Amino acid sequence: MATADATIEHAAGPTTPDGVDVTCVGVSKWFRDFWLRPRVRAVEGLDLEIRRGEIFGLLGPNGSGKSTTIKMILGLVSPTAGRIAVLGRRPRDVATKRQIGYLPEESYLYGFLSARETLDFYGRLFRLPAPIRRERIDRLLEMVGLDAVGHRPVREFSKGMQRRVGLAQALINDPQLLILDEPTSGMDPVAARQIRDLIADLGRRGKTVLLCTHQLSDVEDVCDRIAIMFGGRIRTSGRCAELLAEESATTIRTPPLDPAVAGEVRAVLARHGVDPVTVERPRRRLESVFLEVVEQARAAGVTTSGAQAGGAVPDFLRGTDEAVATAPAAQPAQPAGGVDTDLIESLLRKPTDDAGS
Amino acid sequence: MTRGREGLPALTVAAWLGAVIALVAVGLVVWLGPPAARAAATGAAAMAVGYGAGVPALRRILARRSGIASVAGAVVDEAIRLRSTLVLLVLVAACIPLLPLLLDPSERLAYRVQFLVSWSLGTASLFLCVLTACLACGSVCGDIESGRIQMTLAKPLARWEYLVGKWLGLVLYGLLLVGLAGIGCATLVWMLAAGPAADAADRDAVTGQVLVARRRIAPQPADPAAYEAAIAAALAQLEADEADVFRAAPAAARQRIRRDYDRQWHTVTPDMVTTFVFPGLGRRAADVQLQMEPRVTNVDVDLADVRFAVWLNGRPWPPAGDEPREQTLPSRARHVFDLPPELVATADDLEVRIANRNLVPPGETRATAITFAPGDGLMLFVRTGGFTANLLRCLAITWCKLALVAAVGVAAAAAFDFPSAILATLVLYAGAVGNDFFRDALGSYNVVGDTAWGRAADRMWYAAAHLQEGRIYAAVRMLLGFVTDGVLWALPSFSADAAIASLATGVEIPRSVVLSRLVLFGGVYPLLCGALGWFVLNRRDLVRG
Repeated sequence: MATADATIEHAAGPTTPDGVDVTCVGVSKWFRDFWLRPRVRAVEGLDLEIRRGEIFGLLGPNGSGKSTTIKMILGLVSPTAGRIAVLGRRPRDVATKRQIGYLPEESYLYGFLSARETLDFYGRLFRLPAPIRRERIDRLLEMVGLDAVGHRPVREFSKGMQRRVGLAQALINDPQLLILDEPTSGMDPVAARQIRDLIADLGRRGKTVLLCTHQLSDVEDVCDRIAIMFGGRIRTSGRCAELLAEESATTIRTPPLDPAVAGEVRAVLARHGVDPVTVERPRRRLESVFLEVVEQARAAGVTTSGAQAGGAVPDFLRGTDEAVATAPAAQPAQPAGGVDTDLIESLLRKPTDDAGS
Repeated sequence: MTRGREGLPALTVAAWLGAVIALVAVGLVVWLGPPAARAAATGAAAMAVGYGAGVPALRRILARRSGIASVAGAVVDEAIRLRSTLVLLVLVAACIPLLPLLLDPSERLAYRVQFLVSWSLGTASLFLCVLTACLACGSVCGDIESGRIQMTLAKPLARWEYLVGKWLGLVLYGLLLVGLAGIGCATLVWMLAAGPAADAADRDAVTGQVLVARRRIAPQPADPAAYEAAIAAALAQLEADEADVFRAAPAAARQRIRRDYDRQWHTVTPDMVTTFVFPGLGRRAADVQLQMEPRVTNVDVDLADVRFAVWLNGRPWPPAGDEPREQTLPSRARHVFDLPPELVATADDLEVRIANRNLVPPGETRATAITFAPGDGLMLFVRTGGFTANLLRCLAITWCKLALVAAVGVAAAAAFDFPSAILATLVLYAGAVGNDFFRDALGSYNVVGDTAWGRAADRMWYAAAHLQEGRIYAAVRMLLGFVTDGVLWALPSFSADAAIASLATGVEIPRSVVLSRLVLFGGVYPLLCGALGWFVLNRRDLVRG
């Protein structure tokens, strides 16, 4: 394994002097008709920077230019104007593409190849040695839950299973830059959740991820920065936490409260002139219920002819040790117990303190 | 584990195909009986075994960690697994073994073997070219239109590598199929040739004129310089006497004069002896055959006999004392004589003198002349090899043609959608097959100057003259000659080598021809097509719609 690894034609990724993996400056794309007249202005004056190790969400309604932007970054479409640099090189550069993994918005796979053959085909395009290919194919099929059906032709797969194959092929070269266009499209909530976790995990391992999706909850969960496109232009962009911060309200989440305790909280708040106050029992998310049912069925040994539960992220998708070490820790558990009025007081005071400072 | 599972579908397809063909063959043997059915069954079995062994070998060759080999391997997988291509393949596989069943057992064996060779390889060549065109256009257009090319070219694969990979896959798959056609053809031919012949002459014809490779030598006049001088003098006379006619079409005038002289020289008039020299024979030549197809002139009888006497290198043949024995042969029939080595090997060139000994027909005052059609009426053949080597050369040329069709298909598919690409490819294929016909039809149209520059100047001059006289249509027609010249210049010719016809008539396909086809069809044309396809694909946005 170690010997074969040494022959792989890839390194940890070309270093970009400014730590920026993708740069788009004034990029425009006009599609022309047969008579070379501009037919569609897909992208106009796009400026974009994606830094190394960040998970960047590119959002926008249908036809806003997201996919065209991605295809220009991949060198599949030439920009009409502007400049694009990917990992410090031109997008068409073959050396650049050794470091890129790409999952398109639809599964463009050879239906006559099996899942295993599909991954082998793409692995050979990256010139991976046969032992490495076999090892990675096994691990990736295991990760996406298709190891039991890897010999079946892809055309027999459901859309979600084909997306899993697509995701696996995007990871076979251990890419530095991963471009995912609608990665959870057609997938069941279990797989979608696994992909969200995978993206977050890859981010922690120092990979750069460009995520393009309509699933806004996915973006909220995993993205560091986002940009929202409309009409071929970026209308807003910034850090996800900043853009999503709600300044006009405060939410206090507690275990179920006794009505008397709730009344006490209301009284405290009323003393500070906070009115109105809404107290309600939160609902569970349907996703949680769904995941729980599937987990129970699997635990009971119910079999399925489709995809199995995905496995862990393979070891070969390794990030730099530094990136993994400095990754943010998991979210702390919610505090349990009665009402912490001091916490409420401090939260209520904080805006005033901030304003004062 | 991966390799084992990858190999399985190819073997399955091969096994399935082989089983179907074998079942058909067994059925034919049972119901139709030997020997034709036995030949068909053996041919089918040989092809099935060849396919079963060839496909895994091909996939193993392409199982390399290279972008080009990966794309080529995917093309081969596509070819062996898609139903549409499988149907065409079954058609090819079925046509060859079924041919013996179409042959009339009462025909002479030599004719049946010739028919089998020409039709089996001709049919296979046609089907394989169509199959290659469909595969080339379907594979590349399918990738572009379905979006698969986006995933492929998002990988470290240059666009030229993608095109080369597609072409390589098609060419290697074509090699396998051409090889199978060869195996099928050879098996059937050997089976058929081992069967009973009509008579000893029929058997000799099979072994000496069909299943053999012979160098063809055309006759020359005894004094070529004098012959050319005579033609030049005739032309000069024509130019002096009818200057306008000559200047209007000098090439046509030259062709006409030369044709007249050739016909005249190939005619042996009564009481005359004509000498034909076959050059470059060599003193060690053995197995030399003289083929002649004499015709009589001056009489209205088509099938009259001809009487003549022959001297080889000045010695009578066949000897009857000091003079040759007179021979009588039916006219308009092809006769082949094995020449005695002791007469042939006395000089580097073979001199054949033919004396007309025809009798004076009733009611005539003079005997009829004997004439040989210039080109193939009188020919010398020297055995140079066997049928197998010649078959391999023929297959190599067929494969080169597939390589060219594949290149055109890939280039067209890089530029157009599937219907336009397949149409363009098939039009070019038809043009290449009918190139000689087009050359004759279009070449004699607007034939003016002798050189390309001369033709261009003449065309411009004539077009201007037509315009001045208000004949716009004639002027445009004259200028269209530039287009026809360009098309004829650029269009490859699949018919010029006549490889299959040569193989079927036991004529050696020269190495130089094979080499030229390898360079031209397997190298130059694919390179040009590839460059064109790359130029278009490199500037094309790979988005659907």
